[in-house]
Amino acid sequence: MKGRGFSPAPFVLQGECMLFRLSAAWARIELSAAAALAACVTVLVLLNVVTRSLGMALFWVDELAIYAMAWMAFLGASAALHHRNAVAITLLPDSAPTKVLVVIRKSVDFVVFLFALAMLWFCWRWFLPLELMRTGFDTTAFQGRTFNFIYAEPTSTLGIQKYLFWIVMWLFAIGATLHSVVHLVSRPPQEGKA
Amino acid sequence: MSAAVFLAALFLSVPVAVVLVVTSIWYIWESDNTILYDSLAQKMFGGLENYGLLAIPLFMLTGELMNEGGMTRRLIALARVFVGGFRGGLAYINLLANMFMAAIIGSATAQIAVMSRAIVPAMEREGYSKGFAAATTAAGGLLAPVIPPSMMFVIFGVLAQVPIGEMFLAGILPGLLLTLTFALVVSLIGLRQAYPKSHWMTGRQALAALASALPALLIPAAIVGGIVFGVTTPTESAAVASLIAFVLGWLIYGELKPAQLGALFKRTAVNASMIIFMIAAAGVFGWVIIYEQVPQRLAALITQITSDPFLFLLIVNLALLLIGMVIDGIAAIILITPILLPIATGSYDISPFQFGVVISLNLVLGLLTPPVGIGLYIASSMGGTPPASILKALWPFLLAVAAVLIVLSYFPALSTALI
Repeated sequence: MKGRGFSPAPFVLQGECMLFRLSAAWARIELSAAAALAACVTVLVLLNVVTRSLGMALFWVDELAIYAMAWMAFLGASAALHHRNAVAITLLPDSAPTKVLVVIRKSVDFVVFLFALAMLWFCWRWFLPLELMRTGFDTTAFQGRTFNFIYAEPTSTLGIQKYLFWIVMWLFAIGATLHSVVHLVSRPPQEGKA
Repeated sequence: MSAAVFLAALFLSVPVAVVLVVTSIWYIWESDNTILYDSLAQKMFGGLENYGLLAIPLFMLTGELMNEGGMTRRLIALARVFVGGFRGGLAYINLLANMFMAAIIGSATAQIAVMSRAIVPAMEREGYSKGFAAATTAAGGLLAPVIPPSMMFVIFGVLAQVPIGEMFLAGILPGLLLTLTFALVVSLIGLRQAYPKSHWMTGRQALAALASALPALLIPAAIVGGIVFGVTTPTESAAVASLIAFVLGWLIYGELKPAQLGALFKRTAVNASMIIFMIAAAGVFGWVIIYEQVPQRLAALITQITSDPFLFLLIVNLALLLIGMVIDGIAAIILITPILLPIATGSYDISPFQFGVVISLNLVLGLLTPPVGIGLYIASSMGGTPPASILKALWPFLLAVAAVLIVLSYFPALSTALI
C-alpha cells in the first residue's frame, strides 16, 4: 500500500534539486517534531495516571495531550507526502506498465498539489491574516469587522487561545504545498515502477 | 459527479486521506455550499479532538517497544510450555503465541511481520512446509484486531462514539472463538498430513520459560485489567503498557536501550499520523455523507431486501469482503462506519459492539486476500515464501474466519456478553 520516495539527482535541474533538498530538510524537521510530540503524548498521559492516582489530578493534561497528538498527526502527514508513504490504493499503479505509471504518478502529484493549495486557501479564509493586519492586530475590531471569532476562542482548560494550536494547519498546508511542488516538478525515476 | 471524483482519485492511488478531502471540496463546490470552505481546516483539526484517539500512538508504541524488547521470543517459549508436546506442536505454538501477541499488539500487519520472522524459520527447520508455516502465521495475525487491544476497535469506537473499553471487552470472546477455530483447522489438516513429532519441555525448562515470560504478561494484564477494574481508561492503559514494555525490555530483559527510544518514537509518529490524518479527513468527508443522506438512502434500499438483522449482516459481510480485497482495512473502516453503522443500529437494532466486531474482523480479512493482501505479502517477504504457496495453505483458515463471521453475526451475545 505504500509508495516510496526517490532521489531526483541526476535527473533534475539544479533548481529542482535545491527545492528537493528544502523539501527533504523540512520533512526531517516535521518527522523529528512529530516524534518529539509522540513522546509528549506518552509522558502527558502517564502524568495523568500518576497525578490522578496520587489524588492531585491535573485537569489540563488531557487537552494538551490531544493537541500534541493533533500536531503530531498533521506534521507526520505532511512528511508522509514527501516520502510518498501515505496510505493509498495501489492496485492500478502496481499493475501498470512503466510509461502509464509515470502518467499515474504525475496525476497523483497534481491532485496532491491541488489539495495542498486548497488547504492553504482554506487556512487563509479561516485566519484572514490581511484583515487582522488591517485592524492593527486588534482582535476585537477584527471580530466586529469579519464576524470571525477565531482569535477569541479559548481552549477549555489551558487558559490560552485556541488559534495557537490551530496554527499547525498552516504548517501542514505549507509543508504539503512544498512537498507536492517538489514531486510535481521532479523528473520521474528511471528505475521502473515502485 | 462527486462519486466519480472519489473513485477516480482512489484508484489512481491518491492517498486515501487526500481523496476524502478532495471529494469533499468537489462536493461543496458542486452543491454551492462554499461557505463551508471557511471552516474546512477547522473541521479537520476538530475531528482529532477526541481523547480516544490518543490510544492509537500509545498502542503502536507498546508494540514497537515489545518487538525491540525481546518479548516475542519469550511469549513463543511460553506457548511451547502449554502446547509444545502435541504432534504439530509448533503450529499450535504459533497460534497460541499469536494470541498472546494479539493481547499486546493491536495491528495485524505488525503482528504478521513480527511472527513471520520469529516462528516461520523454526517451523521450516522442524519439517513443516513453507506455505503452511507462513499461512498459519498470517492467519494468526488476524487475532490482533479482535483480541484487545485492537487498533481497529479504537478507530471504530471513536467513529461510532462507543466506549473503547467496552469495545475491547466485546472482542474477547470472538478472539477466543477464532483461536479455537484456527486450532481446529490445524488439527483437521493434521489428519490429512502428518505433522512432525514434538516433545514436551522438561519441568525445569517449562518453569524457566514461564518465569521469563511472566513479566511480559504484565502488559495484557495491565491493559485488560486496568479497563475491566476501572483503574485506567483504554488510553491510559496503553500508556501504562508502553511504560511496562519499556521497563521490561530495558531493565529486566536487557534488550532495549534508552538510546533506541528516539527511533521508536519516530516510527510510532510516522505510522500513527497516517491513520489519525485519515480520521481528520474523514471528519470533512462526513459532511458529504450527511448532506447526501447516504445512510438513509442505503437503508431504504437494504430494508426493502430484508428486515432480518442476520441477513443484513450477511449482506454487509459479503460487501465488506469485496471492499476489503481492494481497500486497506483501516481506511475501509473509516469510510464504512459512518455509512453502515446508522443503518445497523437504526434500522436493524444491531448492537454497535457486535457490528464493530464483525466489520473489524471482516475488513482485516482483506489483508490476506489478493490483490491488495498486504498481510499476505508481508508474510511472503518475511518468510521467503511465494504468496501463491501461502494462499494454497491459507484457504482453510480463510473459510474458518468466514464461518466465525457467520457465527458472530448470528449470536450477538458472543460480542455483548462481557459488556
